[in-house]
Amino acid sequence: MSIQNSILQATDLSLGYKKGSRSNVIADHISFSLEKGKLTCLLGPNGVGKSTLIKTIMGQIPALKNQVYLDKKPTNSISIKDLSKKIAVVLTEKINSANLTVKQVVSLGRIPHTGWLGNLSVEDQQKIDKAIQSTHINYIEDRPMNELSDGQLQKVMIARALAQNCEILILDEPTAHLDLINRFEIMHLLRDIAKNENKAVLVVTHDLDIAIDTADEFWLMQCGLPLVCGSPEDLILQGKIDLLLPNDRLHFDKSDGKVRDSAEFQYPHIDGPEDMVKWVKLALRKNDIGPEINSITIKTEGIQIGFYLSESTDILKFDTITSLINHLTTLGYTRKK
Amino acid sequence: MKNKPTYFLFLIGILICLLLFAVNLASGSVLIPIQEVMGRFIGGEFSKSSWETIVIGYRIPKAFTAILAGIGLSLSGLQMQTFFRNPLAGPYVLGVSSGAGLGVALLIMAGSAFGWSMYSGGFGIWAVVLSATLGSILVLLLMSLTAWKVKDSMTLLIVGLMFGSAVSALISVLSYFSGADQLKMFTIWSMGSLGSTQPDQLVAFLVSVLLGLLPLLVNLKSFNAMLLGEAYAESMGVNVHRLRWAMIVSTGILAGSVTAFCGPIAFIGIAVPHMARLVFKTGDHRVLFPASALIGAAVLLACDTISQLPGSAQTLPINAVTSLVGAPMVIWLILRRNFSKEF
Repeated sequence: MSIQNSILQATDLSLGYKKGSRSNVIADHISFSLEKGKLTCLLGPNGVGKSTLIKTIMGQIPALKNQVYLDKKPTNSISIKDLSKKIAVVLTEKINSANLTVKQVVSLGRIPHTGWLGNLSVEDQQKIDKAIQSTHINYIEDRPMNELSDGQLQKVMIARALAQNCEILILDEPTAHLDLINRFEIMHLLRDIAKNENKAVLVVTHDLDIAIDTADEFWLMQCGLPLVCGSPEDLILQGKIDLLLPNDRLHFDKSDGKVRDSAEFQYPHIDGPEDMVKWVKLALRKNDIGPEINSITIKTEGIQIGFYLSESTDILKFDTITSLINHLTTLGYTRKK
Repeated sequence: MKNKPTYFLFLIGILICLLLFAVNLASGSVLIPIQEVMGRFIGGEFSKSSWETIVIGYRIPKAFTAILAGIGLSLSGLQMQTFFRNPLAGPYVLGVSSGAGLGVALLIMAGSAFGWSMYSGGFGIWAVVLSATLGSILVLLLMSLTAWKVKDSMTLLIVGLMFGSAVSALISVLSYFSGADQLKMFTIWSMGSLGSTQPDQLVAFLVSVLLGLLPLLVNLKSFNAMLLGEAYAESMGVNVHRLRWAMIVSTGILAGSVTAFCGPIAFIGIAVPHMARLVFKTGDHRVLFPASALIGAAVLLACDTISQLPGSAQTLPINAVTSLVGAPMVIWLILRRNFSKEF
């Protein structure tokens, strides 16, 4: 970790809400250092206090113990006006207005930098154009907000945050409700922003797969445990990524980065190319078909794939996994739960 | 964000306003030919001297009252709609005008006990303005507290209606216990009229409207940030707490003083901002505020002209005319399914 790139730090932070003299601690022992030029993903189950951490960083609620430091100054000593020039956010709130065009929404990002009337200078215009460029939304810049898809909408909100021209960008679940392609696109866009513009980008997300592929740094939050920070690769090898899983029933498969059922499962003997065996195994596991059947052989014949099931007397051929599984279930191989 | 069509629309708006102003001066129980009114504008003289008295002494103050009231009501409506993020907010619907009424009722009923009269002149009118403003602010404070807890626009609206009813009930209770003179004074006030403003009161009205505009002008930019909601506004450096107070004070003074001078006037506050959004097709408050002011002035001038029933000696109450024009407009807005999107 390079000290000079660190922009936001906290040591042993306690988060929560104060109600009168009682304080309701949501999470404690939170220590972190957010770095410029890196994409950081904050992961954790629902209700663990991710939003509270974000609100504390944004200075909207005070920390119960210790403070968040921005450029060596505690954030709650910085006025919200100055803070708005340092931290830009993308929230989960949906903006749906027929009377605002994409460009107008992006222009709103310049509010902290303009005079009382909010008139845009040449520099402001350049920042707006650049934000629109780097999020690739030029083609929709004159459309009203209510005509956009969810993916486009999210990109507009990211552009608005970019136009605010802050060193820190915080996004609260920017990929929720998006389809797979858009999730990839948004996360790669955020990675590009962190790299190309040397910004500290902090993303709250539940997409473990995509986060592993794109993030430089993980912050893992789990109830009652201190915040775990580190690169996703290290956390996987150290087994710390399992912190995200609530119980022993699931485990994180280090070989391919997927969450799996922990229970041991006995497969029948399967012959064939490894990448095909994998999918047959998956189908068998889902249908709970164990080793009591004889062996299965997979063969490729030109563009066709054949699945051969050797039974006591003869060998049956199937064209698809579905027909193979259907045959086995009718024979009663599936174990009833 | 301003462009050529916007300036063009403003120019047309100003021309329409001037035309309506002239028509308003010409119509009434005595019809004055419009070319005579136009001629007087550019320095000519009326062919009958009595027309001079009618126009200068009565119709011009009335027309200016209509303009000021139109501006005040539409601007308070626009602020409330943006702040509560509720397309159905407005001073009349959410009970702010009733709050002003309660203030005036308390003043009249209690004041007369000390030998004060609304028509005693001098300080009198300021007392009415002040009590109406305080009454409005009281209701607005209750509304903001509710809006804090309740984000749903329909719930907020229903609560607003209940506030309005509760305040009206309080006024009824006060009337029940008050003497005949005070009751008469209050009833006449509450029927509302644009024509009862004396020239010296007009100055007081102008001063109050300008005072009410101040908090709004200071926070023009913040209202744009509020289009994205409180959390985004705060992340862009807007002090939402301070803006809430600015909105309450500005709306309180604007709606309060209009109600003090003209009585409760319905539907201008809620309908005009929507007309401005429809005509100017923007959400930018730097355009919407002047546009709403312009349209508000024009609409109230037009409503006042209609209430004169041109050609007859009869006059309709202004509140009846604005309701007849405004209610169908609001119903139409609600029936359009994409209502929340138009906002």
